[in-house]
Amino acid sequence: MAAGRRFRVDPSLVIVTVLLVAVLIAGFTLSERFGTLRNLMNVLEQAAALGFVSLGQSLVVLVGGIDLSVGAVVTASTVLMAAVVEMNPAWMVPMIPGVLAFGAFIGFINGFLVLRTGVHPLIVTLGTGSVLNGLVLLYTLQPTGGVPYWFEEFAYGRIGPVPVAGLVMLVCFGFVWFFLKYTAMGRSFYAVGGGEESARLSGIDSNRVILIAYTACGFFVALAGAYFVSRTGVGDPRVGEPFTLASITPVIVGGILLGGGKGNVLGALLGVFLISLINNLLNYMDVSTFIQWIVQGLIILVAVSVYVNRERKL
Amino acid sequence: MAGAWIGRRAGMIELEGITKVFPGVKSLDSVDFEARSGEVHALLGENGAGKSTLIKTIAGAYIPEEGTIRFDGEERSWSSPGESKDAGIHVIYQEFVLFPELSVAENIFIGEAPKTRFGTISYATMYSRASDILDRLGHSLDPRALVREISIADQQMVEIAKALVGEVKLLVLDEPTALLSEREANLLFECVMRLREDGVCIIYISHRLEEIFRIADRVTVLKDGKLAGVRQVSQMDRDQLVEMMVGRELTDVFPPKVLPGKDTAPVLSVRNLRAPPLVRDVSFDLYPGEVAGLAGLVGAGRSAVAHALFGSLARTDGAVMLAGESFNNPSPREAIDRGFGFLTEDRKAEGLMLLLDISVNVTAPAIHEFSTGVGMNRTAEIQAAQDEIQRFRIAVPSPLGDVSKLSGGNQQKILFGRWSRACHRMLILDEPTRGVDVGAKVEIYEIIRKLADEGAGILVISSELLEVVGLCTRVLVMREGRISGEVTGDAVSETSIMRLATVSAAA
Repeated sequence: MAAGRRFRVDPSLVIVTVLLVAVLIAGFTLSERFGTLRNLMNVLEQAAALGFVSLGQSLVVLVGGIDLSVGAVVTASTVLMAAVVEMNPAWMVPMIPGVLAFGAFIGFINGFLVLRTGVHPLIVTLGTGSVLNGLVLLYTLQPTGGVPYWFEEFAYGRIGPVPVAGLVMLVCFGFVWFFLKYTAMGRSFYAVGGGEESARLSGIDSNRVILIAYTACGFFVALAGAYFVSRTGVGDPRVGEPFTLASITPVIVGGILLGGGKGNVLGALLGVFLISLINNLLNYMDVSTFIQWIVQGLIILVAVSVYVNRERKL
Repeated sequence: MAGAWIGRRAGMIELEGITKVFPGVKSLDSVDFEARSGEVHALLGENGAGKSTLIKTIAGAYIPEEGTIRFDGEERSWSSPGESKDAGIHVIYQEFVLFPELSVAENIFIGEAPKTRFGTISYATMYSRASDILDRLGHSLDPRALVREISIADQQMVEIAKALVGEVKLLVLDEPTALLSEREANLLFECVMRLREDGVCIIYISHRLEEIFRIADRVTVLKDGKLAGVRQVSQMDRDQLVEMMVGRELTDVFPPKVLPGKDTAPVLSVRNLRAPPLVRDVSFDLYPGEVAGLAGLVGAGRSAVAHALFGSLARTDGAVMLAGESFNNPSPREAIDRGFGFLTEDRKAEGLMLLLDISVNVTAPAIHEFSTGVGMNRTAEIQAAQDEIQRFRIAVPSPLGDVSKLSGGNQQKILFGRWSRACHRMLILDEPTRGVDVGAKVEIYEIIRKLADEGAGILVISSELLEVVGLCTRVLVMREGRISGEVTGDAVSETSIMRLATVSAAA
């Protein structure tokens, strides 16, 4: 027991860091191009989408929920944004907050339904996600819409060597990290995740916390949608699909307890880097995408079983 | 009733010089223990005294470093709980091992269901044999009922019935009455008596001393992993037993009662409170500095009254005044902000946030107090927790320790720190000493006294009559959602409370 020590390092952070360092060392050894600043900055740029979605997912998981509609929200955000802006390019600027508000609204609906129906969030968000996906596919089966050229700057722009998208992601993580650690509302997230009823009877407005978590999740997920529109210039009805499950991997590997109450978005960020670097490295090694899935699966199994065993020993 | 055991028989189970060491702790230190067939043998001790370790050693779940185990005349060394079970030892732990979606009979015969000649489960045989076993326990229960639909008491019977599928020579009951009402407990005792008459050796663990006197023949007391003594129950009284367990006299257990000032205005005034179905009509006043009790059988609506007052259960009717101002339909937040704290019954599900550290658990109702606008003042928060730890002399290494790793008594004291810090006007304490050892109980009683002396009005809800009688100057008794009567001063006794709790006041 960490008796008397003022600061405790979360063991899962250590594990994900060790994995990250291992991948970096492997990368430097196996590939000449991997270790270049240019490549690492590219990874940061490409990691943004997974980063936004996982950040949203982290918040929901922390309060004891889960959001399986994130893939659909990414998709719907891209289609909504690209379609509206193509019809009227003057809407480009208002659509940036607009699409974020849309994501937040879907998140709010998720939270509201979870609280109101008492149905497990897994099922609620599976339902809302499915409805949203269906609506998008009714509207279009093909990539659609278009945005002004300058909006590319979000996905491809650079400040010096640093990609704008990666920077925005880091700022978002930093903001959420601060919010969770240093504000009363952030503290309430942990309280609700660690014991919803206990929190409620301690005077914490659990319902409000849960609503905020889902709403913020939708917000960050829509940011990933905006990122894709910026990257591809269109709204793609299939772009979000892989993110539903992919968003959970960094959350778990980063040490956020499924069920809530424990963990840290810093871990999720390291998890995002880990997954992104592995995929990048495997690309350089010219292996099948399916190998990437296998590696991701193995990382989840290894990391989580290590956490569980550590818990048991303590 | 005790003392049915006569004459000398060889021990069914005999332990000699058992030592069991865990990293850093000698949980059992050269302990001898012996219990005979046809005997109810009580095992007593505070939490951490080594009772659980002893039971698990008997059951083969732990392998002792030193010592010998003799069972039914043979020296044995179990290597797994399965072996001891095959030999006829059956342990019923506090947490039931039942499958809620299966029937009573299926649970009784789990893993050893009677088969037809085709190798499929013979439900007809299973149901009739289940009925036979339940009859033997003197308990009528439909073997076809689903376990999730039956009461806790019936579930306990199913656990006992499981033991009777094979031949049981030694039955261990670990706090079997913790969740039972008085009436249900009586049924359990009858069942235990029957098994005793059948020659089963029964080891009975309980925190409730009155039960020991009712059903046990002998008692073994453990203290700090060592044997404190073995006695005939009939030759002991309660005070002597407590003294053996805690090493102090019973008169030192409860602090002296203090009557609140006569002419103060009530801190809480409740009129015709309704929150159906559990709260039908409740009116009472609570005064500053008063320790009042709210008694009644489990299910009488005591906890529901607390929740309805605190704002965590919706009221349908009633007028409540807190410190002279209207207090209708509050939220828990509002209750806390107005100085009303509520220590809940289930500290793990409704009290603590088990994944968080001690300091956060202490400051939970007042987190806004530590919010500086842009962040949390961790230093002040840790200091606040440290103050409570010192004030109540809680044995924890640091305010940053994990609350989940504390003993029940210390967890409870953390919650006392939380509520007394946040709320000065009044506190409702629902089962303040549940699952807490005698030593910690005494300390909690002192804390309650101290808080009342500081001017808080305190309402104690407890199933333990001894506790209500020992602490309260006035006791409100509930029955079926209503206050059925009130006893004050010298009239506060177990008998007077039980009369109001069980018999219609009009009769």
